[in-house]
Amino acid sequence: MRIVEILVSPLIALVVGILFLGISRKIMARIHWRYGPPLLQPVIDIIRLFSQRSVSHGTIFNLGIILSLAGSIVVVLFLPIGRICPFESAGGLLVILYLMLFGPLGIALSGGEAANPNTSIGISRKLLLAVGYEVPLLFILLAVMTRYDTISLIGIVQEQQNAGWSVVSLPLVLSGIAYLLILPAILGLRPFELVQAPQEIASGPMVEFGGQFLALATIQHAFVLFIGIALFVNLFLGGAGDPGTFVLKMLVVFLLSLFINAAFPRFRIEQALKYLWRWPTLFAFVGLVIVVLTGR
Amino acid sequence: MDRNQLIKWLKAPAKMSHKYSLHAVYFCTGCGIIEVPPSITARWDAERFGVLPAASPRQSNLFLITGYVSVKTLKAIIRTYEQMPDPKFTVGFGSCPINGGMYWDSYNTIKHLDKYIPVDGWIAGCMPRPEAIFIGVTHLWTLIDKGMANGYQKYRDRYKYYRANQEQVLGTLDWPPLLPIGDGNE
Repeated sequence: MRIVEILVSPLIALVVGILFLGISRKIMARIHWRYGPPLLQPVIDIIRLFSQRSVSHGTIFNLGIILSLAGSIVVVLFLPIGRICPFESAGGLLVILYLMLFGPLGIALSGGEAANPNTSIGISRKLLLAVGYEVPLLFILLAVMTRYDTISLIGIVQEQQNAGWSVVSLPLVLSGIAYLLILPAILGLRPFELVQAPQEIASGPMVEFGGQFLALATIQHAFVLFIGIALFVNLFLGGAGDPGTFVLKMLVVFLLSLFINAAFPRFRIEQALKYLWRWPTLFAFVGLVIVVLTGR
Repeated sequence: MDRNQLIKWLKAPAKMSHKYSLHAVYFCTGCGIIEVPPSITARWDAERFGVLPAASPRQSNLFLITGYVSVKTLKAIIRTYEQMPDPKFTVGFGSCPINGGMYWDSYNTIKHLDKYIPVDGWIAGCMPRPEAIFIGVTHLWTLIDKGMANGYQKYRDRYKYYRANQEQVLGTLDWPPLLPIGDGNE
């Protein structure tokens, strides 16, 4: 049973993530009053990239992207998707917090081997941005763990299904708002698109990626989209009983961040850090204090 | 997507994906680049054809050369072309890359681009309208379908010819040959 879950869970994440990439391009086009590409355009792109001859820049270049993809797949195994959760009793939120770093780290290793100046700028921005959103994220996760007195995500989901969603329960509402505020930074959408920034630093860490490497990086990006939103749905929107409802909730959250993506220009890195360490951190910290004071 | 196309997808997924996912490097050599922003943004929306500006040559498979090619730019064009991964398609945009256009007697521009890199198709005009870009794209689809957009193979086969032409204009090139110079004598 568990083996089936281990196979099914990343597959759901992959399909949903790539579908989200397609939806995002279509919806952005509609907001621009364009017709937009077909919904399955990312799939066409990925097939095209896999069939192109690609240039490698060394062993670490090959291994880094695999490390990044593997890290993302492992995170998915720890996330409950509906009732599907292969590793439900193993570490929970703490493991997710550590493993989430593997994605950017792998891309950084891989890009660093290519030794392109744009890559260095992109990597330094990505790591700074990660420092920016990890601080409020830590406060948020601490608040949730203190409130429900557990580190198991499946436990948190079950508590919410008994007692209502935590984003509308009083002690955790500020943490929920803080997570929504840092969500674009986790997903790499505007106004925090400064890592990729195609017009500015030629897609940053991915500038030397071609062919299969870019295809793997796109798939990894799909996983990142899935992880960031699924974590929010599990922590604050009460998870779901079945994968269908879960994906529907994820879609709503994703649409919200897409509309923000369509409306805002890009921050510079110091503006992004100033924002991330001011409002989300303030909300998350006050939320943590409230949770600690009110107790369980 | 009709059933006919589904069969094509199952038969040759690579070819079909090359058709419908053309990520382009727009090489802004001259005035032709003026026509590109309207065609990739909201007014004419190139994304519905799968044509999208690529951020770097490594990620692309369509090379659009817009406008006259001076000798100095030719060097950059050759380097960019060689960095793109196979299969790749080149389209010359405007009169100038075809035969020199209004710069036909200039001492500083090259007249025929296809002597230096293989070109799969031309969009004639001075300037061509954005609609012409889309007609060019659909023509390129037909060429890819019939297997006639094989400039990258031609470059591999006749590398000696192209390299000799490049060195004739640029003097000695400051990078080693991309491919072994065989007996491809043209």
